Amino acid sequence: MKSAAARRRWVIFAVAVVVLLVSLVIRSAYYQLVLTQVLLWAVLSLAWNILSGYSGYFSFGHAAFWGLGAYTVTLGMINLDLTPWLGIPLAAIVGGLAGAVIGYPTFRLRGHYFALAMLAYPLAMLYVFQWLGYQEVSLPMKRDAPLLYMQFADQRAYVVLALGLLVVALAVSLRVENSRFGMALLAIKQNEPAAEAAGIDTWRWKMRAIMLSGALAGMAGGLYAVVLLVVTPESVFGMLVSAQPLILALFGGVGNLWGPVIGAVVLVPLAEGLNGELGDVLPGIQGVVYGVAIILIILGAPEGVYWRLRDRFAKPRSAPLISAEPVPAVARSDARPTDRDDLLVLRGIGISFGGLRALDNVDLVVREGSLHGIIGPNGAGKTTLFNVVNGFLAPDAGEIRFGGDQLTGLRPNQVCRRGIGRTFQVVRAFSRMTVLENVVVGAFVGAHDDRAAEQMARAALDRVGLADRAAAMAGGLTTRELRLMELARALAPLPRLVLLDETLAGLGHDDLGGILDVIRRVREEGVTVLIIEHTMQAMVRLVDEFSVLDHGRLIAAGRPDEIVRDRRVIEAYLGRRWMDRVTNAVA
Amino acid sequence: MRRRPTRREFGAGLALAGMAGLRWRPAIAQTNEVRVAMIAPLSGPWARQGQLMRMGADMAIEEINEKGGIKALGGAKLTLVVADAGDSTEKAKNAAQRLLAQDPDLVGGTGAWLSSFTLAVTEVTERAQLPMLTLSYSDLITGRGFKYVFQTSPTAGHQAAETLPTAMQLAETATGKRPKTIGILMDNTAAPMSFAKPLRDGGLEKLGLKLVVDQVFTPPLSDATPLIEKVRSSRPDFLLLLLSAMPDNKLVLEKLDEFKLSKGRLPLVGNGSPLGTPELKSIIGADLLEGLLFSVADWPFKGDEEMVERFKKRTGEPWMTQDGLSAYGDMWILKEAIERAGAADRIKVADAIRAMNLTAGPAALSFPGPIRFDENGRRQDVPMIFAQWQNGVPVTVFPAELALAKPYWLKES
Repeated sequence: MKSAAARRRWVIFAVAVVVLLVSLVIRSAYYQLVLTQVLLWAVLSLAWNILSGYSGYFSFGHAAFWGLGAYTVTLGMINLDLTPWLGIPLAAIVGGLAGAVIGYPTFRLRGHYFALAMLAYPLAMLYVFQWLGYQEVSLPMKRDAPLLYMQFADQRAYVVLALGLLVVALAVSLRVENSRFGMALLAIKQNEPAAEAAGIDTWRWKMRAIMLSGALAGMAGGLYAVVLLVVTPESVFGMLVSAQPLILALFGGVGNLWGPVIGAVVLVPLAEGLNGELGDVLPGIQGVVYGVAIILIILGAPEGVYWRLRDRFAKPRSAPLISAEPVPAVARSDARPTDRDDLLVLRGIGISFGGLRALDNVDLVVREGSLHGIIGPNGAGKTTLFNVVNGFLAPDAGEIRFGGDQLTGLRPNQVCRRGIGRTFQVVRAFSRMTVLENVVVGAFVGAHDDRAAEQMARAALDRVGLADRAAAMAGGLTTRELRLMELARALAPLPRLVLLDETLAGLGHDDLGGILDVIRRVREEGVTVLIIEHTMQAMVRLVDEFSVLDHGRLIAAGRPDEIVRDRRVIEAYLGRRWMDRVTNAVA
Repeated sequence: MRRRPTRREFGAGLALAGMAGLRWRPAIAQTNEVRVAMIAPLSGPWARQGQLMRMGADMAIEEINEKGGIKALGGAKLTLVVADAGDSTEKAKNAAQRLLAQDPDLVGGTGAWLSSFTLAVTEVTERAQLPMLTLSYSDLITGRGFKYVFQTSPTAGHQAAETLPTAMQLAETATGKRPKTIGILMDNTAAPMSFAKPLRDGGLEKLGLKLVVDQVFTPPLSDATPLIEKVRSSRPDFLLLLLSAMPDNKLVLEKLDEFKLSKGRLPLVGNGSPLGTPELKSIIGADLLEGLLFSVADWPFKGDEEMVERFKKRTGEPWMTQDGLSAYGDMWILKEAIERAGAADRIKVADAIRAMNLTAGPAALSFPGPIRFDENGRRQDVPMIFAQWQNGVPVTVFPAELALAKPYWLKES
């Protein structure tokens, strides 16, 4: 990881040097202007990529930040005589704040709804700025102190300034990519509920991403105003501005810091060259040629040029992404009490969906160190119970205490932070990450730094016996391996309690035995296990205690041998055949 | 499988071809040629206006060269270099920068129709000391203290201030009576709002006009009935229409017709050359436009008949609008300035424009009033022209010395 990051830092440095050399070589003010625009649009596209490329929250509205930055610099200079040297940093602050203001309500939406809502912000701002009377604003020419107001006769100065912003944007992107920030965003992109359940505070990371993204976009918009000298709502809040970073990033490759740069380097000069060459000959044809070129290239490289080139030329990544140093044994952080205290206590839990009472006055006690099973027919409310415990759902009634702490009302990542891990009925893997990365995402909660997180992840993989698959992509795993990986992700931050939701479902007989051993071992290591299961036989062999749910009510609780003899349970859930077998066995 | 590389190669080839398009175009500096520029939107939403400008400029260049080119430079030919300002200020600015980089011998130019484009373009030309003529009328263009921009249109502020007094004069000339009441029907977009603000802030009182109906709406208009009902019941002497969108114009004019207020029965006054385009006629119809008066910075007037005929024959356009006329005149102003400068030198050409006071010749015949600029590059002593739709054609009707037809204020039918 270290060496890769260092190498990419060198690449950034090399790119900066090359751009500087190019700007020295080209003498035409026109090419210098185009080069400046390439760099500025690359910064906007990188800003977009930090939010949308990594987290998957597509923004059709980055013109909002760009335009606010541009107007901050322009109006600051006109009204307050504020130099762009201060105006551009201020534009970054304004962009960041706008990110917070926009993100706060908009992150309630997901997918297409988020994208469309984002589209509305720049369009609304466009009208607001028109209404405010800022339809054409021009940065005053400062003949007395041009340098103080960033007004250079030599266009190369703007190239250098824009290059400075690009280096900042690349450095920020690199830092994001190589830290838990980027990992958290990638996890959100691939499976947000799983990320939340694995202890990632998805809200906080998304807010950070949009603020950072807004700040970078605002900063670039500020310099854009200085370069263009005339700001109109259409030129900074228009649809074309919002579309530009998307097009550049999709073309170059989303989710990687070089994608937006490649997109800008190819497409911005291409469009401008077409305008220059064809604009006066066959007006309008430049747009057609530009569109066709993009379509053809995207047909050839659907995920963007960068990924295509990487797949073709880069060696497949054989070594694990993260350093392969020997894993020191992870010390258990908290001493386990030997006596069996009540660890998880549910009192009077109820929740309704419309008219359906999914859980009704459920009392449940899980004792520290036990292996507790929950059974019940389909629709009994088992998974709902887990969702209430881990914070996906807020109960209408009742309270949940964990180790004496109140758990009710906490968000999933906060529940996870308090020491409850969970798996899902349908495995929620981050399929485009390696097994190790999947587990590292889970480990962040319990780790102070990224290095510790990796060590904890390796330890967790060891515990479930999946260490040899650490470097495999999660997308290619078998069901058994996926179940184990998810278990490792839940175990990585050393929780006191894990909730296993039908971990045994869909497994063959041979695989089953292996997983049961792992679960038993986990319990022996001191972790309390609460497991939902259908496979009765396996459960009887596995658990210390049973709770039986039916129609949202807890109808019985006790040791397995008691439960299998309980008439209510047999009638409600297990059926006559089971009762016969039990009777026979007793006889 | 075999087709995919081909497609990729084709795509990559296209991209390369596009980039190769950025080749350095060497300036062809011939001694018997003087180069001037036109930067106008030739693609995008304003392409039509740019095309009209190009028609006017092309015609002027041809005439100048047929008549012997620049005499002061031994009959050097005038060459027009055209750049597409596209659909954004960024593209307009790039076009200006590109022209200047590729054509270091340019001595002057015209552009860029839309005032925000002109603002961006002149930021570049000012620094390169290239004299630019423009028909854009935003006050800001000549309000920045620039030395190399020359605005042939009266500024927006001037037009707003002069439109109503001129309309009152027109009414008095046509009917012998001064109107006493006015109605205003407008949308709340920027241009109408800034046009109407000084009127509401005491401007109307000064003119002795009583505002009897004042309707402001947010475009787009879905139904004009309530607006026009109020206009009908309050019966102003005339109605000031400040609408920026074509569909709203159509709705309002149709509704006025339905309420029997059209065709000169209620005098309608507007502002701006968009109210006189052939497109407006094809969309709204000559019938509904009949009688509509609009103030405009430049419109063919008395003395231009022969030139307009040449333009119509050459281009097939039904009449000449401000776009073509101004671009035609700009070329003649540049020609005149080069003659006076006696050199293909942009600074000397700019000086010559600043010093000129033309009252005769093709340049002077392309603009109302003398060709004389103040230190900011604004023209002085420019009368406000009014054109009126008469029998399907917008013709200049005021002031009388420039009029091609008599105006009518009220038409009884």
